[in-house]
Amino acid sequence: MIELINLKKHFGGLVAVDGINLSVPRGEFLAMLGPNAAGKTTTIRMIAGLIKPSAGRIIVAGYDLESDSLAARRRMAYVPDFPFLYDKLTPSEFLRFTGQLFELSESSINSAAADLIERFSLGPYLNKPIEGLSHGTRQRVAIVSALLHQPEVFVIDEPMVGLDPFHARVVKDVLKERSRSGMTVFLSTHQLSVAEEMADRIAIMHQGRIVAVGTREELREKSGASGPLEHTFLALTSQEANLAEENAATG
Amino acid sequence: MDSPREKDQMPGFLALLIRVNLIQAWRRLKSIVQQSRLLASIICAFIAGYAWISFWLFHKGLKFVEQFPGLGPLLTERLLFLLFAFLFVLLLFSSLVISYTNYFRNRETAFLLTLPIPRQQIFRWKSIESAVLASWAFIFLTAPLLAAYGLTRGVPWHFYCVTVVLLALFIVLPSIAGSWIAVSLGRYMDRRAFQIAALICVGAILVGAAFWLKAEPVTDEMLETRVLAVMDRLLEKTRFAQFPFLPSYWLSSGVLNWSEGAFASAGFFALVLLSHVLFFGVLSFTRTGGLFFDAVSTVQSRGSVLARWAWFRTWQSRTEQHYERQEPLRRVIDLLFWLRADTRAFLVKDIRIFWRDTSQWAQTLVLFGLLGVYIINLRHFSHQLSNPFWINLVSFLNLGACALNLATLTTRFVYPQFSLEGKRLWIVGMAPMGLKRMVTIKFALAGWTSLAVTLGLIVLSCGMLNVRWDRVLYFAFAITIMTFTLNGLAVGLGVLYPNFKEDNPSKIVSGFGGTFCLVLSFLYIAGSVALLAIGSPWDISGEFRLLRIAVGMGGFVSMSILLGYFPLIFALRKVTAFEI
Repeated sequence: MIELINLKKHFGGLVAVDGINLSVPRGEFLAMLGPNAAGKTTTIRMIAGLIKPSAGRIIVAGYDLESDSLAARRRMAYVPDFPFLYDKLTPSEFLRFTGQLFELSESSINSAAADLIERFSLGPYLNKPIEGLSHGTRQRVAIVSALLHQPEVFVIDEPMVGLDPFHARVVKDVLKERSRSGMTVFLSTHQLSVAEEMADRIAIMHQGRIVAVGTREELREKSGASGPLEHTFLALTSQEANLAEENAATG
Repeated sequence: MDSPREKDQMPGFLALLIRVNLIQAWRRLKSIVQQSRLLASIICAFIAGYAWISFWLFHKGLKFVEQFPGLGPLLTERLLFLLFAFLFVLLLFSSLVISYTNYFRNRETAFLLTLPIPRQQIFRWKSIESAVLASWAFIFLTAPLLAAYGLTRGVPWHFYCVTVVLLALFIVLPSIAGSWIAVSLGRYMDRRAFQIAALICVGAILVGAAFWLKAEPVTDEMLETRVLAVMDRLLEKTRFAQFPFLPSYWLSSGVLNWSEGAFASAGFFALVLLSHVLFFGVLSFTRTGGLFFDAVSTVQSRGSVLARWAWFRTWQSRTEQHYERQEPLRRVIDLLFWLRADTRAFLVKDIRIFWRDTSQWAQTLVLFGLLGVYIINLRHFSHQLSNPFWINLVSFLNLGACALNLATLTTRFVYPQFSLEGKRLWIVGMAPMGLKRMVTIKFALAGWTSLAVTLGLIVLSCGMLNVRWDRVLYFAFAITIMTFTLNGLAVGLGVLYPNFKEDNPSKIVSGFGGTFCLVLSFLYIAGSVALLAIGSPWDISGEFRLLRIAVGMGGFVSMSILLGYFPLIFALRKVTAFEI
């Protein structure tokens, strides 16, 4: 459902993403972890169509993002860590607007929104201006608007930012349910607990490359570290850093 | 699934985007009125007053020019050509700056790019939005002039309808050109390359203006015996405005021909405008989406196109390492040893942010470029003045011009400073420095920096006008007070009406507080110049001399305290109890 083929991104002289290859099948929940400046957000921004790769290809739901960008974006949803919302609109107006951008009819928007609005407890805020809503409520509005058109691929950056434990739970449940019914989820986070709890597979990115990808157990085996995911993560990223230092030293 | 009928009834992407943004704009306007009806009324009254006064002045001016024996209509015609040619350049520049910000630094653009909207449609919407934002001031400026022109010429009613159509067509061309230049700049120039290119362009314009505006002395004998030859030389300098490939030429010719009843000629020029609008409009609306996305991606990727060559990367990295080692700005600021370390750090931060913000930079350059042209002009203007009355009048008008320039700087750059701290406000708020000192530092930095500019400007312009040294001191004293008042007003209102949701300084300024700041600044300048003229010690004699000086100076100082000191004090009080 998402295929990254030899994906590269350079920012001038800096290599942010260094030829990554990754395939996320339909219905899989993949969490991408990595230290700061590992290249996670750059990868997500390329998948979302915000920036062009320097080299390589991205296939979303069977469509090449470069040559068939519109078809790919029609089947995808993207929620950044600080989503953009029209401040002077109400959540109800914003949901209708985004639904219409995905060419949904009024009746489809209403039926798709009704359940999500209830699950995300947005009812009391539906007709209040977005500018007066808290960050968590705005985040919920953004997630609901992204789920409205039943995307096949859902890309989300730091989904739990600003959410209280109750709504964080709701987001996790909804994403897991959708994933089970066929939606591919590509999540980037620094919260290891979220990845551990939700993901079918975890990809660890470091210095622009994917250093490990697999299930929780596979990663533990590869790292040789036992215990919580934190140990696995630290072991894998430090191994990679040591390797890079050795390579640099030997020229 | 949606039925085909339901799908047919859906609005297009462009219609949807326009509708949503119109709702946003309408609600923003309503919230301004709800915030304070009194202040909204003051702004409305100011706008209506501006329209009426400018119409009256244009009408008087055009009538005066029209009465020149034998030359009146020719001069009016040339003035119109010149005005539209300059407005074309300004409109082009304004479109360029607004399009650049709107394409590459706008969160809505980034949001729309992730949705299944064709990039061409996003470009179309953003171009329309930029054109509207860039050209409303043009309409605001030209409407009273054209109404006055119509009244002076006694044109029929349909002149006004045709003029509206011609203006609407005209606006499209600089908007399209501005949007294409913005896309090209985004694609091919990084910040440093743009700064260098902009400096070179402004320098070239100044050199060109200095050369073009070279004084040609006219003797009294020539004015008496060879008036037509002198006039011909004068008009020769303005002939560039009649270059037949300039869109402003087509607009001016259309307007002039229609007012003279030459409908066929006016129709020809209208069709020339229309054909260009259609040709470039179709190109822009159907063929630029891909280039636009390339440019957005390049700007977001921060890399320069030049970075594909190794020599550039090496040079860039060496420059960066050198800068990191030397830190020239910090070294300069560290010379201000009497300031506290945190104050110096804050100054370095503010200057760096301003320097690295291309859109801020570009607009500052335009302001300084205009100032340069103004000074160059003054040099020649003083040659024509021999009567003390005119020298005196021009020197007071010069004070007003310098202060108006300062007001533009303070409203555009100083007012949004507090709001631009935005989400970072807590860093300073929680630090020992505190918000109160932060506001004071911002005021001091803006005040002393702009004083260096305005004081230099007033001394230079007075020198050009050959004003006596004691009067230069008088104007220097006046501009010093005005500088700190206008900065106090801008900093004060910026804190009293903050907008932390907006990252774009142009949008912060266009809100209620920014408009109010501009209106108060203009009223203050008009009042101050009048009071300083009333209290000018050299121009009054008789028994009420001292009283007039006291009224003039007292009024000026009181008004300065009212508009500069009090807003700042209220702002400092507000930040003392500010909740972050």
